Amino acid sequence: MKSRTRFASCIIFIGLLLTGACLPGAPSDNAGSITITVYGFSIMKEVMEKEIYPAFAAKWKREHGVDIGFVSSFAGSETVTNQILQGAPADLAILSIDRDAERLAEGKATTSDWHAYPNQGVVNKTPFVILVRKGNPEGIRDFPDLAKPGIRLIHPDPVSSGGAQWSILAIYGSELKKSEAETGTQDTVRALNTLQSIWKNVISTPGSAREARTQFETGYGDALITYELEGLLMKAENAEVDMVIPKSTIFSEHPVVVIDRNVKGPKRPIVDAFVKYLWTDEAQKIFVKYHFHSVTNEAFNNENKAFAVIAQPFTIEMFGGWPRAYPEIIEKIFREQVQGKK
Amino acid sequence: MGAALSRIRHTRGFDLVKPLSITTLVVVMLPLILLPLASIFIFGTSNGLASFWAALSAPEAIFALKLSIVTSFWATVFNVLFGLFAAYVLSKYNFWGRNALIVIISLPTAIPTAVAGFALLLLWGPYGTLGRLLEPNDIHIMFTASAIILANIFVTFPLAFGVIKPVFETMSHSLEEASATMGATRWQTFWHVTLPSLRGAIVGGALLTFARAVGEFGSTILVSGNLASRTQTAPLYIFAKFNEGQVEAANAIAIVLALFSFAIFSILFFARDWLEAD
Repeated sequence: MKSRTRFASCIIFIGLLLTGACLPGAPSDNAGSITITVYGFSIMKEVMEKEIYPAFAAKWKREHGVDIGFVSSFAGSETVTNQILQGAPADLAILSIDRDAERLAEGKATTSDWHAYPNQGVVNKTPFVILVRKGNPEGIRDFPDLAKPGIRLIHPDPVSSGGAQWSILAIYGSELKKSEAETGTQDTVRALNTLQSIWKNVISTPGSAREARTQFETGYGDALITYELEGLLMKAENAEVDMVIPKSTIFSEHPVVVIDRNVKGPKRPIVDAFVKYLWTDEAQKIFVKYHFHSVTNEAFNNENKAFAVIAQPFTIEMFGGWPRAYPEIIEKIFREQVQGKK
Repeated sequence: MGAALSRIRHTRGFDLVKPLSITTLVVVMLPLILLPLASIFIFGTSNGLASFWAALSAPEAIFALKLSIVTSFWATVFNVLFGLFAAYVLSKYNFWGRNALIVIISLPTAIPTAVAGFALLLLWGPYGTLGRLLEPNDIHIMFTASAIILANIFVTFPLAFGVIKPVFETMSHSLEEASATMGATRWQTFWHVTLPSLRGAIVGGALLTFARAVGEFGSTILVSGNLASRTQTAPLYIFAKFNEGQVEAANAIAIVLALFSFAIFSILFFARDWLEAD
């Protein structure tokens, strides 16, 4: 009995030792000696992992004979920004909103000026659209229809998601833009009313645009406001959804920033080259293939036949850029007059 | 009701309460535990075993499982050794502040794991109290595997201690005293007398700690950085894949963790009596 017990404890102990300690704690960098760490907002995942990384690694190998690898983490833009500010080891970040890039600069994580890159640091863009269930049973044609009683809307959380902030600006700005086209002046009361009544129909605020999409895909909610490319990706997977193109909507613009705090020594030229690469024709065409709109050449965008035609598009410039849009619309209008009154 | 039931039981000569209560038990468990678990398995195998296997053998998935096991292993080693030591000290000596120490060791049970995560960040992060001193020397603790181990240690801190301490306290001290009178040193007494009777508690505490650490999510998501194939543990992988809409990939790992937990608690259940039975 005694020997059996001892034998058993030995076996369990050795078993634990083998499963635990003998496995490598740190992973092998099977891609090579230099690894670039990218933190990105949620919807960048497919295009980066499937095409941009391999394409740049191949190009670098061709030109310099050196293997490089990529690791990445994707989450809501605000979440990613907070992680980097807390010290996450990112070499560069691709964010949903310029405000997050500003926050990284304020936190001294980034010291170089990303606005000096091509297109003010914006690598690609995409309009905001509405996704509904197949056949559009609720008859939704534009943003104001989402305010109809009984509509259950999924909307990402503006606290953690950049896409959620774009969506708020899309709704609010679209009403301004349309009223301007109709009467000559921007009707802020109408815009606020629409935003307030739409927000009453929000049943869930997931952490990122991608989480919101997953929730919608699992059958929750009647409608979802999101990036056009999310809708196109879902359509490509034959999901049971329809895309509703608002008459007027915003184009979100996504900046890239180098996290200078973490990029040291031999990595620097590679990271810089990678950032530059994002604006090459090769990279921009890849973005278009994955349903992002190119920012360098409109001709590339004509290649993607699935892109929506928007009657009255606008950008963050209509609000005077992010330094004004965030305090004036997201904080004063949304937080104080929409969320505060819910 | 009780009287009625017992009358039935006696008049019919058949214990009705037994099957009734067992049925009630299963019926209550069905929607709460059994069906949710079953749906993981049903969904996981709905597209055939080949796609389940493909999801499971993805390099990122395998890495996440390995990382979970390694980090949980080291947290377990530490917490068992510490738990053993703490239980020994706290049951042997009576001193001022003893109860306070016992309470503090047990604190992590009630602290939300997310709080454990940001508490670690506030201390060891690049802007944290201690992290600020380490940062210039290029020592990084947060967003590495060490951070995951620290988080695991924090959240499972009381578990091994909680299992070992009661055994210590109920242990008959006559054997230890006998050993001492026979001229054994303190260490000999501990090694040959005290430790063998704690075997069951140590294995139990270790398995419990390990199982809890493997499933840890709330603190790891904050301190690990969640980099695929680098600092992404199995629960983080599940969360990331679910959020990306790759429910199948998430589900495959969930099945592994469920089976793993099942195995651990089976061992816990059967091996403990066996180990103690000598």
